[in-house]
Amino acid sequence: MIELMNQLNFAFPYIIRAMALLSIVALGGLFSERSGVVNIALEGIMIMGAFAGAWTMIIVMNNMNIPLQWNAFIGLSVGAITGMVFSLFHAFAAIHMKSNQIISATALNFFAPAFAIFTARSVTGDRALNVRLDYAISEVPILSNIPILGPWLFTNAYLSTYLAVIIFIVAYIVLYKTPFGLRLRSCGENPHAADSLGVNIYKIRYAGVMISGALAGLGGVMFVLSFSTRFDGAVAGFGFLALAVLISGQWKPIRLILIAFLFALFRVISEIPDELVGIRNLNLPQEIWRMLPFIATLVILAITSKGSAAPRAVGEPFDAGKR
Amino acid sequence: MKKVLFFTIMLLAVFVVAACGAREYEIAMVTDVGDIDDESFNQGTWEGIEAYALANGISHRYYQPQGESKEDYLDAIDLAVTRGAKIVVTPGFMFEEAIHEAQALYPDVMFILLDGVPHAGDWVPDIADNTVSIFYAEHESGFLAGYAAVKEGMTSLGFFGGVPVPPVVRFGVGFIAGAYYAADEMGVTLDFGPNNYEYRYSFAPDDTHRVRAAAWYDRDVQVIFSAAGGVGSNVMAAAQTADAWMIGVDVDQGGLNDHVLTSAMKALDVSVQQMLDLYYDGAFPGGESRTLTATEDGVALPMESSRFTNFTQADYDTIFGLLSDGTIEVPANHEELVAFFAEYELGDLPFAATDVLPAD
Repeated sequence: MIELMNQLNFAFPYIIRAMALLSIVALGGLFSERSGVVNIALEGIMIMGAFAGAWTMIIVMNNMNIPLQWNAFIGLSVGAITGMVFSLFHAFAAIHMKSNQIISATALNFFAPAFAIFTARSVTGDRALNVRLDYAISEVPILSNIPILGPWLFTNAYLSTYLAVIIFIVAYIVLYKTPFGLRLRSCGENPHAADSLGVNIYKIRYAGVMISGALAGLGGVMFVLSFSTRFDGAVAGFGFLALAVLISGQWKPIRLILIAFLFALFRVISEIPDELVGIRNLNLPQEIWRMLPFIATLVILAITSKGSAAPRAVGEPFDAGKR
Repeated sequence: MKKVLFFTIMLLAVFVVAACGAREYEIAMVTDVGDIDDESFNQGTWEGIEAYALANGISHRYYQPQGESKEDYLDAIDLAVTRGAKIVVTPGFMFEEAIHEAQALYPDVMFILLDGVPHAGDWVPDIADNTVSIFYAEHESGFLAGYAAVKEGMTSLGFFGGVPVPPVVRFGVGFIAGAYYAADEMGVTLDFGPNNYEYRYSFAPDDTHRVRAAAWYDRDVQVIFSAAGGVGSNVMAAAQTADAWMIGVDVDQGGLNDHVLTSAMKALDVSVQQMLDLYYDGAFPGGESRTLTATEDGVALPMESSRFTNFTQADYDTIFGLLSDGTIEVPANHEELVAFFAEYELGDLPFAATDVLPAD
């Protein structure tokens, strides 16, 4: 039993880390899609955010003497702002120019890694940006002594994880308890009805895409901070994984968190099957564990697709003359 | 309005293409998977070319293939030749078949193939007079790293390989040999078996690599040798959290993180410069296959940037001397590893053949 506890204590911080990242980026996708704009540019926006964030952190680290976590906070903020600005390209094309939303988003996905690598190389002579430091908080005072939860949530943790929790709560309240959230959701379901009631569809959709950009940009910096010590022009497909989470989670925040947990859980378990009692004895090849979240996604989608809760107007450019 | 815009863009495109075609580049490099600053294989090669070309005022340029197939490589080589390349450097065994075709297609162009030998897909070496094939003794580099780590006082070791391609496999085999050789010399018992020996089937960073490395450090692995390109950055992060060590690969990675103990280097840049020098002296060793070992200074540990406290420069010079004068013949595959263990009476080899080179 003690052994099991130790193993869970080891694995949980990693699961939480991947889960926080997946759910924040998926939440970004949710804001955009609930407002009626498909956003498959999450991956590209993440890369831009990661690039700007990592670069800022390096500059701040070299020139200013401030505590590590403040630096992380600055990096995360810059990443979010960059993501927001970058997503405006998609917003402009998709909302104002009424372009095909898949194509404009794909353009961002292609553009981001190339731009990041090119810029990094022109400036530093190296495509990778070395943040060098690990920003883990080894222990949160007092809280880490709580039984079970202490080691799971408050040791070997990252500032970004706690930010993610706060953002999630705020996002939930905004979506379901404020007039803005109601308007946003109505824009994704029936923009003409919303328009007839005086809601400015363009404004709301811009807001939706920009929030999604900010969250994806933040997610990009989270990726650099919590998995690696450098930015290398990629975020390992987490943007697309987040889309899968979003769709499996049926565009609902709470379900989305559960799916993100599932993905993160299998991701981590697949790497440490030998270390976990019970799982070790199953003797399954690592590949099976890696497949599980995707198989689970397929099954979940197959079961729930009839009652799919995709926003009805998602992907359709708004045309006031077309009722 | 739209038409004007369209024509402007077309004009611009034509102009750009024409502008590119105007210049010629004598020395060309076609990159393998990865980029010229992968802090690893391609970068080492490119730095060698750049240093030589800048010192001698020769135009040079690198080309990235569109994909990883033979056709993509051939297209890139064709482009390089069209742009005036007289000598083409290609790093990586992936180029073997492409170079086999290219050396016949462009008999006036010289090819330097690193880490591979041209063949027609049948693994029968066929080196034309305009090609030189260069191999590195990665096993010796891995041997030095394993030896140094154990001499430093580590008793629990781990190995991360990228994809089990020949150079990566050689790194791993040498690492095992070096570690157990040092352990025998010091009379310590090692905790280094198949459980701590793994191929990640990737050269790119990902969170899962970090979890894996962290799990190993958690069960008290003291140092992980990462011969896996970009995976190294995840191992560095894990090492930092666990306050443990990692060993870098190919080039000196000591500057990337404070937890890089040392790096198992191969002197890509030096060898490329040597070949270019021979070419411009009119003594290009076409048709030859060369293996650069410790004797030719083809492998090394970067002692200045290493973070050893017990393993001294003198220790390094001694072991390096034994390798370079041929006293110790480092094994490069499982068969030789078995023989090596028998020769030096290192006990039972804990690794099966499939641990070292997994079946497909």
